[in-house]
Amino acid sequence: MNESLINPFFSISHPTTIQTSLFAGASLAKFDPFGRFVAAARPTGAVEIWDLETRAPIRSFEGHVRGITSIDWSRNSRYILSSSKDWNVVVWDLSTTSDPPQRYASIRFDNPVVSACFHPKNSRILAVVLSTGEAYVCDLRKNHRSRVELIETLLDEHAGNANGEGPTEDGGEDEETQVIRSPMKIARFDPSGRNIFAGTASGNILVFNVRTKIMVARHRIAGAGSIKGLDFAKSGRRLVTNSTDRTLRQFTLPTYKSPSAQYSPPSVPSSPSVLIQPSVPPFPFLDTDLEPTHRLSDPINKYSWNAVTLSPSGEYLAGGAADQANLKVYVWDLESDGRLGGVLEGGREVGVDVNWHPTKSTLLAVTKSGNILIWHSPHPERWGAFAGGFEEVDENVEYEEREDEFDIEDEAVLHARKMKTEEEEVDIDTFVSTGASRGGADVLSSGANPANKNSRSVTGTGSATPIGIPNSQPTEADTMDVDIEVQVATAIDTKLGGRQAGIEIPGPAGYNEGEAIADVDLAWALEEPDDDIQGSWRMKVVMESEDVGAYY
Amino acid sequence: MAEGPNFQQRFLLSGHRQAVSSLKFSPDGSLLASAGADKLIKLWDGLTGEFRQTLQGHTEGISDIAWASDGEYLASASDDKTIKIWSMEERAEVKTLIGHTNFVFCVNYNQNSNLLVSGGFDETVRIWDIARGKPLKVLPAHSDPVTAVAFSHDGTLVVSCAMDGLMQALFSVINVFLSRIWDAESGQCLKTLVDDDNPICSHVKFSPNSVFVLASTQDSTIRLWNYQSSKCVKTYTGHSNRTYCIPACFVTSKGKYVVSGSEDNKIYIWDLQSRKIMQVLEGHRDVVLALATHPSRAIIASAGMEKDLTIRLWFDE
Repeated sequence: MNESLINPFFSISHPTTIQTSLFAGASLAKFDPFGRFVAAARPTGAVEIWDLETRAPIRSFEGHVRGITSIDWSRNSRYILSSSKDWNVVVWDLSTTSDPPQRYASIRFDNPVVSACFHPKNSRILAVVLSTGEAYVCDLRKNHRSRVELIETLLDEHAGNANGEGPTEDGGEDEETQVIRSPMKIARFDPSGRNIFAGTASGNILVFNVRTKIMVARHRIAGAGSIKGLDFAKSGRRLVTNSTDRTLRQFTLPTYKSPSAQYSPPSVPSSPSVLIQPSVPPFPFLDTDLEPTHRLSDPINKYSWNAVTLSPSGEYLAGGAADQANLKVYVWDLESDGRLGGVLEGGREVGVDVNWHPTKSTLLAVTKSGNILIWHSPHPERWGAFAGGFEEVDENVEYEEREDEFDIEDEAVLHARKMKTEEEEVDIDTFVSTGASRGGADVLSSGANPANKNSRSVTGTGSATPIGIPNSQPTEADTMDVDIEVQVATAIDTKLGGRQAGIEIPGPAGYNEGEAIADVDLAWALEEPDDDIQGSWRMKVVMESEDVGAYY
Repeated sequence: MAEGPNFQQRFLLSGHRQAVSSLKFSPDGSLLASAGADKLIKLWDGLTGEFRQTLQGHTEGISDIAWASDGEYLASASDDKTIKIWSMEERAEVKTLIGHTNFVFCVNYNQNSNLLVSGGFDETVRIWDIARGKPLKVLPAHSDPVTAVAFSHDGTLVVSCAMDGLMQALFSVINVFLSRIWDAESGQCLKTLVDDDNPICSHVKFSPNSVFVLASTQDSTIRLWNYQSSKCVKTYTGHSNRTYCIPACFVTSKGKYVVSGSEDNKIYIWDLQSRKIMQVLEGHRDVVLALATHPSRAIIASAGMEKDLTIRLWFDE
């Protein structure tokens, strides 16, 4: 709520200046969804949570014996996930008062884990990629408990109408096709949580439906090489890829159909009954080349990029250059056609990771020596703010005396007028108005902004199906689940200025027959909701012992 | 809300031996904490007024207390130039914040309870990292003792107000200053609010949604400011406040009111919107210096200065 005072014109800028540097010994770092904390993963296997308000570590936990390969926050920051080369994925619950916090779950795989992330609507669902190129969806919910491998539907299978998707087949053919299937390097949920995007070593983006685990699309990206990284704008319609050809690409995504019940989900590996599989043709997935809207690279130094991150609105793209001598983060302005907005330099260090703040014009870069540098876009001190009733102007304004400025008026008349102006009702305890003057989201959102407003009015009316799909007819159970979703979305909307708001809005416009089903996808994800609800827990302040603190 | 408030005195708590300077209900309303010039903090049951505990540790009188938003910690600001943090679990002091170079006069937590803001007679506003007990920021905020500081509910803004030198007793003030709004992260001054005739500002707090600030000034006036537009949107008058720093509070549990103590030994309750005096509570025998409203029920706690020394709980139910 300070934003409208600091920056009354909501001028848009990308980060320019180093604000602070945290000596975290980190190899990876990520802002939490509210921008209050930074999770820093150490090469030793430890994770530290830093409080950005106090700029000090507040929690530290060790759950791995080898280096951490990825970390992720659940949507309301309660859970944090770490994946490691020691074959484990650990989910931590930060609502516990103890330091270190308790584990919520430990999941062991058969190979080193290279990346893992939470489902954006339910932290009980994870996407995991192993070093062998296999990708899994792990469902920790009681009634859905499963670990399903995501398997690419191959084109020849598709044309030759064998008996369906990979996982429904048994041994023989699987082995045969495995040769052709390209290993997956990275997997991310899209912000709506309907689909998982997986990047492969052969430069394809595979899109899987989360509920059915069926591949719904395959996008070939010409000349990309192997996909190293993926990131989404919060609206979910923009995707950036980082690939071995040293080029960052931004795509505008089409809408994907959701497989209907006709296409039964692939059977869970633990139950090998193939008999019940009817001869249903495989899902007619979208098989297209995707043309990037922007292609970004450094033509002179030909840097490869160690990490890529989009600003929340998708307006800016930051890439960490793999320069072996200097820390450089390139920021491109995608709104003005991919113009290079600036290069953030962090001195003689080697960068390893970058991450954009979820709401503000702020980004962090992690250096090889473990420092986390945070850039922000500073606001000049306005000295005029120190004088009451003083206003700064950009240029001289000729003062025009009001007609009645020096009229002598009766005290009583003045008083009566003042009283009259005070008649207007004031609202002292509704938080909505603070949402309107919300913080950084405004500064950075231009594309997503209309959508935010739209969703605000939708959620505000409290209609039963505010997800935005008017002609869907969910079952009663679905409606309930959807309602929960709405509450959560509203809560977040108030707090974060609709950072998730854009998600629901763009979807429906493009959905036709998949429309009602798309809703089923969300309803499915919200079955057995996690307990990561805003306001239901708080990060306890753990006091450091007195002898360290007080008498310095 | 057809009829106005009808607060009746139900409990009278005595225990303090010198003037009570601050009263605060815990965030869940189960406890009432009081502190005073006798260097003690006393805890009372928030509903029955039963005495619970005395916390002892400061070497000089206490001017202000504040609860962490989870109710687990209590901070107290004292004339011994320190702020102490008390754990409710251990019912003991857990931390002392040292840094102010003169009396600490006011203190408040942010919503996340990881930061504390304090102001005092050294004319600075300080922001503290509580877990470590270290100052994060010193804002050379005013050129006079700081009389009140508070965080907005989202923790991004700090409002402060100050007066000028010359104190007679622990709480008495003489002179000017205005409310200032600070950016909590960068410590930049974002706005200064001042009324036409520049009155002494003795207390300031954010409205529950942090859209307005309620400022008490020593021209016997309480003003509700919209700090975005720098406009005074409501004025409440009728009480008497010329000498002391008397806080004003919102009542939001049953009807919307503004309530304040007064130097004529009474408590005034105004309707938030109409600005009319709805009820005047009489009973105290000295200036009503401390006042608190219950977070969920229609209860007002009030306390007086030396000639009185009692804490009274008023119920409207």
